[in-house]
Amino acid sequence: MKMECKNRIVVRIEISTLSNPDGKFNHQKMDRLTMVLSNLNNSGKQVIVVSSGAIALGTDKMGLKVQPTSNEEMQAIAAIGQAELIRFYQHYFDQYNQIVAQVLLTRDIMDNPTRVKNTQNTFDTLLGMNIIPIVNENDSVSLTDIELDDNYSLALQVAKITLADIILIKMDTNSKFIIQPRTNLKAKLVDNENELFEEIDKTCRDLKSKPYEKLFFPESIGDINLN
Amino acid sequence: MGTSSLTYHNGRLNFQRIATLAYVLSALRSRNLEIVLVSSGAIGVGAGRLGLIERPKDLAKKQALAAIGQAELIKIYQKFFEEYNQTVAQILLTKDIVTMPERHQNARNTLLRLIDMGIIPIINENDTISTFEIEFGDNDTLSADVAQLIDADLLILLSDIDGLYSADPKKVKNAEIIRTVKTITPELENLASGAGTSFSTGGMITKLSAAKICADAHIDTIITNGNDPNIIFDILDGKEIGTHFVSNGKKVVH
Repeated sequence: MKMECKNRIVVRIEISTLSNPDGKFNHQKMDRLTMVLSNLNNSGKQVIVVSSGAIALGTDKMGLKVQPTSNEEMQAIAAIGQAELIRFYQHYFDQYNQIVAQVLLTRDIMDNPTRVKNTQNTFDTLLGMNIIPIVNENDSVSLTDIELDDNYSLALQVAKITLADIILIKMDTNSKFIIQPRTNLKAKLVDNENELFEEIDKTCRDLKSKPYEKLFFPESIGDINLN
Repeated sequence: MGTSSLTYHNGRLNFQRIATLAYVLSALRSRNLEIVLVSSGAIGVGAGRLGLIERPKDLAKKQALAAIGQAELIKIYQKFFEEYNQTVAQILLTKDIVTMPERHQNARNTLLRLIDMGIIPIINENDTISTFEIEFGDNDTLSADVAQLIDADLLILLSDIDGLYSADPKKVKNAEIIRTVKTITPELENLASGAGTSFSTGGMITKLSAAKICADAHIDTIITNGNDPNIIFDILDGKEIGTHFVSNGKKVVH
């Protein structure tokens, strides 16, 4: 079965992208990001956000100076921070009239076909309604060591479940993005928002002209090949 | 807290009730009682957010609405609890907490830790990946599983049902509420199997099985009407409220 391009884009966001150097949440950056993503959605693309940040926001909420290190405490802090995180996303997307949904996943759903199916159904239905799902790892119940990786692997998992066309990687600095298509094509670094929309359109056209049978997203962020 | 207690008959949120609930639970925290809230209502809130008049029947649609509504619901809880300076946390669970020992331990650690920090965890089923409570339980079973998980002393099930009746009160005029249940007999289960409500998936039968899970774990259960969350104060004062399933373990009530 050939995969058609569905204009489906997974956007990976690290909380550090949305924070000041001192770790405090940067509302201005969040505002800008949610505007760009609402626009992307309005332009006919399906957008899925994969965002970290529960532990950082939970730490801040509890007034702790440093992030906790024990697994138990991190999980508790994550449960507090996830509620904050989703509230922030709702608040800013709301301003652009964009409805969001919260999806919390654990890695092991891949081992359970019923759960994969359930998750796919949820994503397909949400995207079909023009809603942006905000995905995070369900840290509070997850069995994997939390926050060990850079959340690219969660973005990759979501891309595989949803058969996404592109993983969009938000860079730490300013407005830079990496566009990684689902073929073995090289990734593209774009500097500004106009270029971002043009490049995404171009990538989607490319994908439409030659539907691939397999997903080819790099398995880790280090494997991404920029040209 | 069942869907029917959080919403009006048209499915829209009853903010006054949520505000009262937040007040009551925050007040109990001030008395040093440890509180975990299991709340339904995500699908209803999601439908409200999208301006849908009817609740969808299609399962995938319900899951999508739950994902939208859960985000809204936790925001609303945060708002009301913050008025009482009470921090909350969100935990989305699946049946794994019962079936997988490692996940059981993990969820337990997280919840106990949160309670220790003085936080009220707000729990719901993770409807995106699991659909059991959407289809059957309106969180009745989940709340019993959670009560067992954290060695709770008492489970209070708030819904639009006043308690367990000697007969279906809609059909039998002089049906009486059963105040105390010491053993859940097959006769009781038979009695309960008819009485569901149209606005939530949980009927008396899932509440009874929740009470059974708790009884086996030496936890008392009280089934009562959630119209006025202040009723929780009365329960803790030892007044006769709803139907009290007495376990043979420790007791906090009376």
